Amino acid sequence: MAAAGPMALRRAAAKGSGSGGGLALARGVLTRAGPPRPRGPLPRTPWTTRGPPPDVLAQAVERLPVREQVELDTITYAGRQHFMPGLARPRFPPWDRGWHDPWHSPGPRYEDMPLRKDRSCFVCHQNVRMLEGVRQAQWLTKTKLVEGLPPSVQSIIDNPAHRLEDHEERVRHAVWHARLWNTTETAPKREHYCPALFEDLIHICRLMSAKYPSLAKRMLARNYRIAATWERESILFQVRGQNGILMNSMAPIPPVASKEEVLATEEHVLETFHPISPTIDLQEVIVYKELNDTGFKEGYPYSHAHTLFFLESANLRPRRFRPEQLRAKMLMFAFGNALAKARLLYGNDPKVLEQPVVVQSIGTDGQFFQFMVFQLNTTDLVSSGGIKNMVWIDSDQKLYENALCIPEVKKRVVLKPAGIYGFQPDTFKKFLALYLHGTV
Amino acid sequence: MAVLGRRWLLWHGRCWSSQAESAALPQPPDSLYPPIVASATSNSKAAKRRRLEHFKQRVHAAPSVEEKLRLYGLLQRPKYMVYPQTFALNADRWYQSFTKTVFVPGLPPRAPPAAVKTPGAVAPEAAKAPEVVAGAAPGAAAAPAPGTEAPAAAEAPKPEAGATPSLDIGELRSLACDALLQESFYQNKKRPFLYRDQDHTPGPFLTQLVSTLAAFLSCRNPLLSASSLDLNPEVNYYWHHGEEVVDRGYRKGRVDPVRFQIDDNPHLQIRVPKQLPQVVPLEANLGDVPVIDHKPSKLPLFKRQYENKVFIGSKVADPCCYGHTQFHLIPDKLKRERFIKARLDDQIEVVYRANGIASLFAWTAAQAMYQGFWNEADVTRPFVSQAVVTDGKYFAFFCYQLNTLALTAETIENNPRKNICWGTDSKPLYDVVEDGSVKGFNDEILLHLVRFLLNRPKEL
Repeated sequence: MAAAGPMALRRAAAKGSGSGGGLALARGVLTRAGPPRPRGPLPRTPWTTRGPPPDVLAQAVERLPVREQVELDTITYAGRQHFMPGLARPRFPPWDRGWHDPWHSPGPRYEDMPLRKDRSCFVCHQNVRMLEGVRQAQWLTKTKLVEGLPPSVQSIIDNPAHRLEDHEERVRHAVWHARLWNTTETAPKREHYCPALFEDLIHICRLMSAKYPSLAKRMLARNYRIAATWERESILFQVRGQNGILMNSMAPIPPVASKEEVLATEEHVLETFHPISPTIDLQEVIVYKELNDTGFKEGYPYSHAHTLFFLESANLRPRRFRPEQLRAKMLMFAFGNALAKARLLYGNDPKVLEQPVVVQSIGTDGQFFQFMVFQLNTTDLVSSGGIKNMVWIDSDQKLYENALCIPEVKKRVVLKPAGIYGFQPDTFKKFLALYLHGTV
Repeated sequence: MAVLGRRWLLWHGRCWSSQAESAALPQPPDSLYPPIVASATSNSKAAKRRRLEHFKQRVHAAPSVEEKLRLYGLLQRPKYMVYPQTFALNADRWYQSFTKTVFVPGLPPRAPPAAVKTPGAVAPEAAKAPEVVAGAAPGAAAAPAPGTEAPAAAEAPKPEAGATPSLDIGELRSLACDALLQESFYQNKKRPFLYRDQDHTPGPFLTQLVSTLAAFLSCRNPLLSASSLDLNPEVNYYWHHGEEVVDRGYRKGRVDPVRFQIDDNPHLQIRVPKQLPQVVPLEANLGDVPVIDHKPSKLPLFKRQYENKVFIGSKVADPCCYGHTQFHLIPDKLKRERFIKARLDDQIEVVYRANGIASLFAWTAAQAMYQGFWNEADVTRPFVSQAVVTDGKYFAFFCYQLNTLALTAETIENNPRKNICWGTDSKPLYDVVEDGSVKGFNDEILLHLVRFLLNRPKEL
């Protein structure tokens, strides 16, 4: 402002000349310093402001997170309808078809599913590899572990009457057949030889029904599904799905442990592995049905689960279960079968069973065998005290040391001809004893 | 066999031995001159004959069966792949012509091995007392005597001197029904996958039925107790039959044998260490082999070149090297409803027959090769095997006797022997399964199956 400058100078000059009484010269008129001009924000009147007050305005325009603000602020080529170098790539809203196409629909959300529950449930299925192995399975199923096979099975092993004639020769043939002769190639893969060995061994065991005709009352079931639910210290657990090959029998296996041993399990304390939670590696689900199903309908004549067989027949080592994890899986599914049967027989109320349910389990990868006998004594699993279930495990029994399909030749001299080395017939005796258990 | 390409390579490694050649002129012994024989490397007919003879000598003189099989299938050339389970029309007549088989309807006349007693036919005979009566479990006579066979017909079991208990048809029926009901009713299963109905119920049912029956009957048939049960094995056989002219390629114009290969995967098979007895003598003539004047590619059959395999289900070293019974499952593609919808009702039986003939020929011929026979060294004893072809409900039974392996153009001229296949039509085992029970169970089919499983050599 051209006038302000000289006027200010003039006023300042007048002030400087020391006009007394604060008189100042402005436009030839003597003025006095008046009340000070308001320097702060103007009073809010309709004449001075426009729009809402600043705090309301700040509330209306909330400060967004940086990323969202940047997204709003970026200039994209969306309006231009074609690519433009220098402008950002736009993100368009997902296209809505307008009608429900069943082949291209994301499915119902978890919140809308009718089976959604408030409490999550931990499911153990056939691909669950537990970190703590048998210890974790013991905690989950409230079980006490005993090494070695129970005395009733041991007596069957030791009794020479329960053997086929020349069964050792037959088992040897079975191993040779499965490991060497089963294929047109030089060496069969584990996917071939593991089931072939299992079938041959079961065939030999079934031939024992010549001596014990009640052995004919057995039926193998493949691809069956088990479902069992229980609660353990306010966490819900389930065992679900296909697991292995189940052998059913018409008559149940009599209880293996005496009453005193069962009562003695009360003092046993379950191992915990703090800080690892016992639910580690189990699948947590929020949509589930609390189901207890043996896998077979009512009226099935072979209603008692006798033995579960697990075949680790994957070719690649990482796909197979380690022995510890395999034993844990065997324990969980044996428990699942026993619990489902107990719920069927005695109802859903948790109680101590007068007639314990016994289920056996055998796991193998074609060379090593794990034997297990599980006895379900109680369905009262909520607390960690009281009577516990019992399991007898015999682990890592070799049937043979190794199998050479091609002879080992060094410098044109055959060092080791092709064949099976280190054959141990005791492992098959245990297999047969577990098969005959309950009938003999 | 024209093994022209390979032989001259191996020729240089072998010494020119003095093996008797057919083209050699007779020389007096102790002659100073070497034998006058045709050339081995020239392109003349005599030389070709000589090379052929040399090859045959090599196979004859092979030290082991594995070496013989290796030499037999050494040369790879395009060959027809014969599929036992095929949709081709009238495939059974074509397969009979390829394998020189006579088809005889009905099962071979054979005395049933043990007296089978039905609960209805109660014939009160005083001598029945030492026998076990039907209805009581066979467990009562827990010690199975290696029994004397009852030579009688099935209806009237004569009293036996031995202590063999008669078969309880009720027990067998309950075993079969239990297996069927478990797979189709009692076990909770999801719906079958698309076009995989056979793997859902009939497949497991067949496995279950055969394994339980074989175990149950093993006390009556010692051969079964020494048997080996294979699930989903592989059976392969490669052979030559007839001649043709190569029509394209660098070998155009040459006369070649027609090569065939069967690669079969039965659902289940039982192998035994001893051979089944022959049904008819080796030179028996029970009919005519159908003659088809067309090329095999008209069936349709297609050619491919790959490894020539001969395999019975396990390698030569296995002691169970003879076949007993095979069980085949008809796949979804060839089920009855499809043929009825396509108005090809008469081809339903053709599927079963073609499957029986081709699979059994491959199996018996591979067994014969495992014993060292081949088309130049024909079999000296007949090889017998059985098969059951089913789609879960309908069962057809086949019995095959291999009398000759000599099917090549040279060896078939003076060979009067023919292979024989007996077979039945397919009949249902049951009508329907509903509400936990089997309606319309047919005992006759079960009896056929049991008779098949009880078949064994006379000395056992």
